[in-house]
Amino acid sequence: MLPTTVLWAIFLLPLFSLVFIGLILRPFFNNYPKLSGYTIISCLTAALGLSIWVLTSSDQFPIGSTIEWAAVGDFKINLGFVADRLTAIMLIVVTGVSLLVQIYSQGYMRGDPGYHRYFAFMSLFTASMLGLVLASNLLLVYVFWEGVGLGSYLLIGFWFHKPSAAAAAKKAFIVTRFGDFGFLIGILILYFTAGTFNIAELNELAMLGVIGGTALTLAALGIFSGAVGKSAQFPLHTWLPDAMEGPTPVSSLIHAATMVAAGVYLVARTLPIFVSSETAIMFVAVIGGVTAIFAASMGLVMNDIKRVLAYSTISQLGYMMLGLGAVGVGIAQGELGEEFIWLAIAVGMFHLFTNAFFKCLLFLGAGSVSHASGGTFDMRLMGGLRKYMPWTFVTFLIGALSLSGIWPLAGFWSKDGIILRAWEYTPVLFWLAIITVFMTAFYMFRVVFMTFGGKYRGGEQSPGHGGHGHGEPHESPLVMVFPMVILALFAIGAGWAFWAGGAFEYLGGYAHGFFDVFTNVGEEPLPLISLTIALAGIMLAYAMYSARWISPEKVSQTFAPLYTLLSRKYYMDELYERIFVVRVLHRGLFYVIQTVDTYVVDGIVNGLANVTVLAGSGFRRLQTGQLQSYGLAIVLGILTIMLVWFVYK
Amino acid sequence: MLADYGYIALLLIAAITVPALILLLAKVVAYKSKRPDPDNVKSSTYECGMQTIGSSWVQFNFRYYFYALLFVIFDIETVFLYPWAVYFRQLKFFGFIEMLIFILILVVGLVYAWRKGVMEWK
Amino acid sequence: MNFWLLSPELSLVGIALTVILLDLFIQQKKVLAAISVFGLIIPIAFTIALWGENQASFSGMLVVDNFSLFFKFLILGITSLVILSSMDYARKFARFQGEYYALILLSAGGLMLMGSTGELISIYIALELASISLYALVSFLKDPKSSEAGLKYMILGAISSAVLLLGMAFVFGITGTTHLDQIADKVGALVSGGQLWDSPALLFGIVLLIAGFGFKIASVPFQMWVPDVYEGAPTPITAFLSVASKAAGIAVILRVFYTAFGIAEISADWAMIFAVLGAISMTIGNVVAIAQSNIKRMLGYSSIAHAGFLMVGLAAIGTLGQSGVLFFLAGYALANLGAFIAIIAISNKIGSDEIADYSGMARRSPVISFALAFSLISLIGIPPAVGFMAKFFIFNAAIQQDLLWLVLIAALNSVISAYYYLRVVKVMYVNEPTSEEPIPSSIPLRISLAIASIGVLVLGVYPWLVLRLAENAVAMFP
Repeated sequence: MLPTTVLWAIFLLPLFSLVFIGLILRPFFNNYPKLSGYTIISCLTAALGLSIWVLTSSDQFPIGSTIEWAAVGDFKINLGFVADRLTAIMLIVVTGVSLLVQIYSQGYMRGDPGYHRYFAFMSLFTASMLGLVLASNLLLVYVFWEGVGLGSYLLIGFWFHKPSAAAAAKKAFIVTRFGDFGFLIGILILYFTAGTFNIAELNELAMLGVIGGTALTLAALGIFSGAVGKSAQFPLHTWLPDAMEGPTPVSSLIHAATMVAAGVYLVARTLPIFVSSETAIMFVAVIGGVTAIFAASMGLVMNDIKRVLAYSTISQLGYMMLGLGAVGVGIAQGELGEEFIWLAIAVGMFHLFTNAFFKCLLFLGAGSVSHASGGTFDMRLMGGLRKYMPWTFVTFLIGALSLSGIWPLAGFWSKDGIILRAWEYTPVLFWLAIITVFMTAFYMFRVVFMTFGGKYRGGEQSPGHGGHGHGEPHESPLVMVFPMVILALFAIGAGWAFWAGGAFEYLGGYAHGFFDVFTNVGEEPLPLISLTIALAGIMLAYAMYSARWISPEKVSQTFAPLYTLLSRKYYMDELYERIFVVRVLHRGLFYVIQTVDTYVVDGIVNGLANVTVLAGSGFRRLQTGQLQSYGLAIVLGILTIMLVWFVYK
Repeated sequence: MLADYGYIALLLIAAITVPALILLLAKVVAYKSKRPDPDNVKSSTYECGMQTIGSSWVQFNFRYYFYALLFVIFDIETVFLYPWAVYFRQLKFFGFIEMLIFILILVVGLVYAWRKGVMEWK
Repeated sequence: MNFWLLSPELSLVGIALTVILLDLFIQQKKVLAAISVFGLIIPIAFTIALWGENQASFSGMLVVDNFSLFFKFLILGITSLVILSSMDYARKFARFQGEYYALILLSAGGLMLMGSTGELISIYIALELASISLYALVSFLKDPKSSEAGLKYMILGAISSAVLLLGMAFVFGITGTTHLDQIADKVGALVSGGQLWDSPALLFGIVLLIAGFGFKIASVPFQMWVPDVYEGAPTPITAFLSVASKAAGIAVILRVFYTAFGIAEISADWAMIFAVLGAISMTIGNVVAIAQSNIKRMLGYSSIAHAGFLMVGLAAIGTLGQSGVLFFLAGYALANLGAFIAIIAISNKIGSDEIADYSGMARRSPVISFALAFSLISLIGIPPAVGFMAKFFIFNAAIQQDLLWLVLIAALNSVISAYYYLRVVKVMYVNEPTSEEPIPSSIPLRISLAIASIGVLVLGVYPWLVLRLAENAVAMFP
């Protein structure tokens, strides 16, 4: 029997770590930075153990515990945690990946003066994410949602003396808040149509059709706008690549298991609400498909290894949304029964599950590479690292293969599921997805060949992190390699139904046979097609960046406008910064206000003043022009209110 | 009820027309001097037929104001004390206490002014 | 005639007089501040002891109920924090330190009475008692800026008083009474007789009342004085103006409009006026705040924006809106005081209120910078600070009244506001410090800062106690 206190314990353990580091270690044991690392690692290990317990107690789902936090008048808020299959899988992903990242950070952050602070923020971030996963109530979800946002703000801006880091942190925070604002509106609409914040009740009411119509569509779109912000979907994706300014383990955690996963998780959690409105679920699928190809196309040309991975994350998140949406569209259109909700969740979440492992692995690999080559992330300054750091090379290669969707690695299975459903329910989006497969394979192997192939192009010493210089590139310490190896094992096998891939069936999907791809060619050729396309992408990358049959420079010259468009990220940043912030906000609004002030207010005031002067009165000497206009505003205000009111009546 | 406002409007019109008419009348009837108008003599300040010396915008010693303020305060006190004295018997002991408090507050003001040196002319 | 009901105000005025008298004989001016702060315990104790009373006295001029007691408690609390944080700042005044504390206390007395009367003329007198003290306090620094601020405040305050008085006269002219409950009866009779729209003078009076009170709470278009006065006034007084004065203004609006004009035919209209003014206030306040370089001026525009948020609560007729407004005020008071107290500490050292001069403050004084940042976060409305809960309750109330458009504008405004609040945080945490000297702060200032910051956190995490008090307070409205 699983006591509900276990759920609370999973959430409270990292919170305890935060309090312990902040109140005890930081003030009194400042000279023993390692202690805080050990604290968070032991707390997360315990949380992982408890999460496994939750996972294995699936026969008792859903279990939850609720406390009445407040009842004032009609306004009641119940706070609570609840666990079901979805929660259980997410708990494993979050605690597991976070644990590995913390172990890796022990090596990566060594010697950083903000060691304690780093692990304190990490604890806060993980605790918020766990709270978000466990919460049974939309209001509580929102609170933790903001907590995750705050944690990411602190972590991305961790090296706050770097202006770019501080700017990136602020950007991440503000851009996601644009989405959050819709989320809050969505929550409120749901509350006032259904009278509850409880997710399970809301889902049930939506399925029964008690709530529906425009209100439901609006609410679903509101929730989705929150997810778009957090999961960096088009058009709010711009913050994620910039968020690379944080320490690499942070990027890895944000990208793999926490912040960006929150959006997908939220949509999965409230999927019954989405499928009750065809518009809303179609919107999810389209945004997902568009984001997938859009982000992948930008990943083709980036030279910063972390940025390529960032765009890849956005693209994969698009896949997840597409997966949720595609099956959802089937349900909303009545082609599938409502019992297929869990299949939709399984398709989307399974990719999140496998992506968590190989994406985390790739980031840790990128960090390791940068660690070795003097702190740069520019791939043009790398190359030939295969012989210096074999472990990193092998694990990174596994990650890249898995991400490209090569049989029989984890990525193949989850991506295959999504493409299959897209073919069935949203054929247009299927084509976007299949092109994305090609792009993904291409850019991942572009990274592999540029980084590990050829000769080392670094040589020049760039100022490394932590201040220590490097001679030759070297393999990273064991504490960094160990988590990568573990993750590599999962990147291989997280799709196998008889092993970790059991997660798919656990969530409600049904497993394929291991060799179905090759034996069932006649029935379902799709997996084979996508596999072929992925291999074609790898081949092209090989041809351009390793064998040099095709010169990449020539290609970029031939398609110069396209290349510029991609490398400038479709000018989205410029659009937002220059057009929206500068033109619309600064120039536009201020200009309007200033014009009104200069011409209208001053004009009236001057006019009045002239009248006064003409009347020959000494009245003006007593008052400054400003004060007059202030008084005038009061009078005009009263008259306007009066006039509008009467005309209105 | 709205009609009642009509009277106010009429009154307003009357209030504007009458002075305007009178001013106009003065303009029409008045004797016009041949000299440029206004000249120095006309625009000078009239003070009992005497020639004025200097500007009338001079600074006063601010202590005048202090005295004036203090005077007003205690003047008002007396105004309040009279009716109280007349009704003293009816107001009984409660009225007595009330007036004591009132005077006490004024005394505080007096002490304050005194300590701040308002009473001295330096 | 029950003096027991008047005990908080009486004791407060008593303390003010004591302070003035002692000032004449005591050289150590800090003692005066101590007497003021410890003296404030007496009216606070009286207020708490009176909780639960529901009586009118002095022929209806004084009304003591939970509503007025809530505001008395709020204003007394604000006054204590302001005086605590003034102790360092008051050294800037060469003379008149005793008067400074006494005037704050007297002004607080006026503000307390404003929320505690059921009659128009008493409202006016209480408002003048508070305002005249404030005029003097605003110009207390005696430098050109402060004097200009004082003069502007006084002239505009006089205009708005006149407007208010005219409004009261119109209302009195139509209804023949100044007692709010009797006005309500008359208005009810007009409505049931179908004659309401035959007396535009009454409606004009209502608009004038909105204008007069709108001046107090800094609502557009009666907000023009705010930036100049906030910038010029001594910082503790700016803090006092922005929270206490606003709180009392809201108290009067709630009481007058819900008691006298609470009938549905007319309340729908004034609620719409508040809704529109609120939307304009927060938009103008937030957008103009972005362009400010002086932190006091910026907080001035932020105060205009918050008046807008408060008016969202006023527009949401009903218990939820009323209690939401009360809670919002409590939360706003704590967060804004926290911000201003931190600014007092910093400007005592660096002698500037320019945001640019705050660069690297986080390294010079981590605690004060953190408190300032946390207060600003509360003003944006991010959990776990109280600002989030406060906005939530108000938006909640507005949505229940079908004011979704207003909530959309308000929510968008909170997003905009994040821009300029976070800019201060960024300057403090990212930019290089211009010197390494730490910011000194006295014990009383630290205490007041701690109270404000902890209050922001506690109310944000556990708002229910205060919310329940607020609900009790508004229970007397029909």
